[in-house]
Amino acid sequence: MSGDAIPTIGRGRMRWIPRTPFTLAFSFLVVGVVVLLAFAAPFVAPRDPQAQNLVVGLTTPNSEFWFGTDAVGRDVFSRTIFGARGALIGPVLIALGAFVIGNVLGLLAGYKGGLLDAAIMRWVDLMFALPGLLVAIVLVGVLGSSYALAVIVLLVLTSPFDTRIIRGATLEQRSLPYVEAARTLGVPAPRIMFRHIFPNILPITLPNAFLNFAFSLVALSALSFLGLGVGPGSAEWGRMLAESRLLLFDNPMAALAPGGMIVLTAASMNLVGDWLYERLADRGRAR
Amino acid sequence: MSVRGLALFVLRRLAALAVLLMIISFGVFSLLYLAPGSAEQVLLQGRAVDAATRNEIREAFNLNEPFLQQYRLWVSGAIRLDFGESIRTGEPVLNAILNRMGLTIFLGLYGFIVAMVAGLSLGILAAVKSRTSVDRGIVMFSIVGASAPPFVTGVFLLYLFAVLLGWFPAFGQGEGFADRFWHLTLPALALAFGGAALVVRLTRAGMIGALDQDFVTFARARGLSPRRVLRAYALRNALIPVVNAGALMLAFMLTGAALVEVTFALPGIGALLVESVNFRDLPMVQGLSMVLATVVILVNLATDVIYLFIDPRISYSETTA
Amino acid sequence: MRVLEVHGVTIESRIGGHRRTIVREFDLSLDAGETVGIVGESGSGKSMTARAVIGLLPPGVSARGSVTYDGRELIGLPERELGGVRGSQIGLILQDPFTMLNPLLRCGRHITEVLERFEGGRVSRRARRAEATRRLAEVGIADAIDRYPFELSGGMRQRVAIAAALAGDPKILIADEPSTALDATTQKELLALLKSLQEARSMGLVLITHDLRVAFAVCDRVCVLYAGSLLEVGAGAALEAEPLHPYTLGLLLSEPPGDRRLAELASIPGAVPSPDDVAQMCPFTPRCRWAAPVCGAGRPPLALVSPGRSTACVRIHEIRESMRETRVVVEQPAPIRPARPASRLIEVEQVEKVFEGAVGRRGGAAVVALAGVSLEVGAHESVGLVGESGSGKTTLGRCLVGLETPSAGRITIDGIQAADYAALSSGDRRRLRRVVQIIFQDPYSSLNPVRSVGTTLREAITLYEPRSRRVGEEVEALLAKVGLPGSYAARKPVALSGGERQRVAIARALAVKPRLIICDEAVSALDVSVQAQILNLLKTLRADLGIGYLFITHDLPVVRQVVDRIYVLHRGAVVESGPVDAVIDAPQHPYTVKLVESMPRSSPDWLRDA
Repeated sequence: MSGDAIPTIGRGRMRWIPRTPFTLAFSFLVVGVVVLLAFAAPFVAPRDPQAQNLVVGLTTPNSEFWFGTDAVGRDVFSRTIFGARGALIGPVLIALGAFVIGNVLGLLAGYKGGLLDAAIMRWVDLMFALPGLLVAIVLVGVLGSSYALAVIVLLVLTSPFDTRIIRGATLEQRSLPYVEAARTLGVPAPRIMFRHIFPNILPITLPNAFLNFAFSLVALSALSFLGLGVGPGSAEWGRMLAESRLLLFDNPMAALAPGGMIVLTAASMNLVGDWLYERLADRGRAR
Repeated sequence: MSVRGLALFVLRRLAALAVLLMIISFGVFSLLYLAPGSAEQVLLQGRAVDAATRNEIREAFNLNEPFLQQYRLWVSGAIRLDFGESIRTGEPVLNAILNRMGLTIFLGLYGFIVAMVAGLSLGILAAVKSRTSVDRGIVMFSIVGASAPPFVTGVFLLYLFAVLLGWFPAFGQGEGFADRFWHLTLPALALAFGGAALVVRLTRAGMIGALDQDFVTFARARGLSPRRVLRAYALRNALIPVVNAGALMLAFMLTGAALVEVTFALPGIGALLVESVNFRDLPMVQGLSMVLATVVILVNLATDVIYLFIDPRISYSETTA
Repeated sequence: MRVLEVHGVTIESRIGGHRRTIVREFDLSLDAGETVGIVGESGSGKSMTARAVIGLLPPGVSARGSVTYDGRELIGLPERELGGVRGSQIGLILQDPFTMLNPLLRCGRHITEVLERFEGGRVSRRARRAEATRRLAEVGIADAIDRYPFELSGGMRQRVAIAAALAGDPKILIADEPSTALDATTQKELLALLKSLQEARSMGLVLITHDLRVAFAVCDRVCVLYAGSLLEVGAGAALEAEPLHPYTLGLLLSEPPGDRRLAELASIPGAVPSPDDVAQMCPFTPRCRWAAPVCGAGRPPLALVSPGRSTACVRIHEIRESMRETRVVVEQPAPIRPARPASRLIEVEQVEKVFEGAVGRRGGAAVVALAGVSLEVGAHESVGLVGESGSGKTTLGRCLVGLETPSAGRITIDGIQAADYAALSSGDRRRLRRVVQIIFQDPYSSLNPVRSVGTTLREAITLYEPRSRRVGEEVEALLAKVGLPGSYAARKPVALSGGERQRVAIARALAVKPRLIICDEAVSALDVSVQAQILNLLKTLRADLGIGYLFITHDLPVVRQVVDRIYVLHRGAVVESGPVDAVIDAPQHPYTVKLVESMPRSSPDWLRDA
């Protein structure tokens, strides 16, 4: 009843994510640069990422090859730049796909309930019981390695998590009076789901897409690190790391640069997602 | 909670898990048919062989039987832990798995303990020092941890501690407990980083959430010592989501083990899986998949049972049938 | 002997560099064994005051001023030393029994852990357990020592909490809305228990409540808090006999009386301002009908009017007579129009509803919410459905609009068989939607937070008149009907007060021109002054539009103001029904008798016969 307004203060504290303006700006910068590099790689990279320079062979960083070269004399700097493409395309597709699948299935399961819900949730439970990346390793390995297949398999394995989250959020909204009022007014179900509930769960689903991006980036690079997904010699960060991991004594940069880029990009995406969550949650605070 | 209630609960869960295992086994068996090319081509690895050998393969793998019969025969073998022989080495699948299991278990437990200890203590520290630079630093650590795959962490650790500082060996698994411990420290740290990040996040959120609850205010209002409030009130309630994430942790550790073993060239079952997958050694892949699935499922069950003991509300609704 | 002295306490919050005053210069004194009430609506700062006394303000909130207990200054005392005061000198219990106990600890443990902390010498585990059993018996609980909180009802949990709060034998107990979350009958028992514990232990009691009647029944002295400022202090009986501040008078008059129906409740216009907006004036000025320029000229101090009575109203001597007259006029009862013979709009026959346990969890037992309920509502009639939590009243309301489907029985609405909405033709369903609509309890989640008021209303209008060209005008007309300016169409719910949101929810229901509105506890989450506004609005709408109500509530005084007939629901069955006056004035069924006796009355003997 008429309790005083303590909770807003409490919740503010719980949501508080320690982050300085500097780290946030840096995260945006990293994400921006990666996007830019992915599009402009041929214009930015000083050399052809595949050109082998057997005369130079394996070198450490110098004025000509900023990050040195790998075992067959390819320019690590250029390869790292081209790697931004693989780091962007797959994760974006997975994040987008999981967003769409998760929202449609999650809203349907949560709002409609009944048999549909039971069926969707059994599938989700099954996927939950399995270690996703291991399944991906087996499936991609056995079905034949390709980047597209890796993306599809990861999408299938990721979307159950989103479905579950969105179903939970939908269930919560569904029992709120504003939804019940819309039902009583006779607002059609699809309209309730997508016009009423969807915008209200966006503070959960949108940031989640960013976290998915980060997760997919890590998972895709893990697959290519294991030799699954992209072919040998590709300028893909995980693949580069795998091929250069034995060069740690000779040119550590060949392994550290792509590895560092994976962590940097994924962490930045995570931070941007957290920031977005805070912003959106603040907007809908009065709920 | 009564012993009978617990037994019933476990039995019910076991039945559900058996069903799950059946579904998985079907998927695993179907891998043979999902792989591009006919089953026998897959098994022959594209080698050109004469008709007699071809027939031998067909007989050995029951390829002449109808699909469901093949599956039945494969399952009856699998139940006796007989997954056939590796195409690559000719070694019985079970032997290969058992031979390499010890290393992975050692690595996994080592990593798990480090992750839990580091994750819990850092998570508690961050919650208690909420909104200070300590908190900020710990959260940054957990964000980086969540974003760093074990193979990247592994390579960075190798570079720092093996190449630059020379404190730890770069490769090898060591002999005897102490030596193995020594050799596996870097791999275990690489494995633990991501897991610790997850535990930090859950513990911190759980603690801060619990500290905000009325029951904590009420406990303080009764004059209980800060220590008691922190332990019996905040931490106990915060542990529930952490235990709940136990299964997730295991999945993470298993996948991580595969990556770490490849990074550090350690011959565990993770590396075995990757090798076999890359070689399309299907009997081995099938055997490993079944063993790993069983482990995952059993750990899931264990988490549920622990959960029962931590949260009385669950045991009440689950076991009073 | 004075044990607690609060002087000039100001409480402020600071979130993200934003500074906000919650309470301004609060004073309170408490003698040993005395009971003082702090009465205020939401936003008055009463809960924060309670927490400030014991040093338990949430992070970001701070207090300055002086709190002395037994001659010792508490504000600024280090946490370690405060721990020696809390629990053993000053105890605190909170409002919500469902969140106050640690869900993972058994009830007895909540008590023994406090005993452990404060006992001097060594006490055996067994002795401690025996003591805990005794403490639980003291609050009227027999065998809960080994049970977990979730196994107990709200009232039981609140008793356990009281036992735990008293385990350290504090000299003062601060009770923050201890009975608000409970049912009426439980509330009365709990207050009686608190009062008897206070007397038996001759303990000081600070009772914080929003309900003046409860404060009068329990307390020796009452302080009235409004928008963070103390407006009036006096002995309970004197305050009730003649309030000396227009706000106190307004609060008293907006409280619906249980013993009669008033023609119109005296509501207070507007909503509670934030303390910072009224810092340099009498905070009640914007809503006060006696306001004069002098009221806005500075913050009035609390001034002594007669021994033991003080008020912050600077004009009290000029307006005292006028206030008295107002009270006499307003409290005249209004006759209830005899019920017209009306055609039947809703007929409910032997409706049952059983909620199965959660799917896939065989442990969850089935709950019978409705066990064969029959009732009818005539056209243009206003009918009350009264019951406590668990009576099934809400379930029945939800069945009528198709939010639940009955397990058995018949529901006929305007000639349509409406028990199973899903089985209806879409035409019938559309027709039903325009017969019955519903408004809910919680104004904060009743409106979609991302949509403006206008969008919400437009959607409702166009659902049934998709071609309407004058939607804009219709939105304005709807807003006018519920007493809101047309400019509100552009606002998002966040920018509305609780009462305003409830008005929009009513407008949304009116948009489809229904003949009956189900009000599911529609005013019980609102402050009394706002509650009176909404009740008056509902009455006006009925007079103007001939709309009927099915008023679902636990609150007898409220229901008496708006309905002609009532049904009393208990454990899923109607136990008594009839004209509202007859049922409340001369209840027949024992349960109704108990319910009527539980209505808070302003005199101390209300708790005597518990």
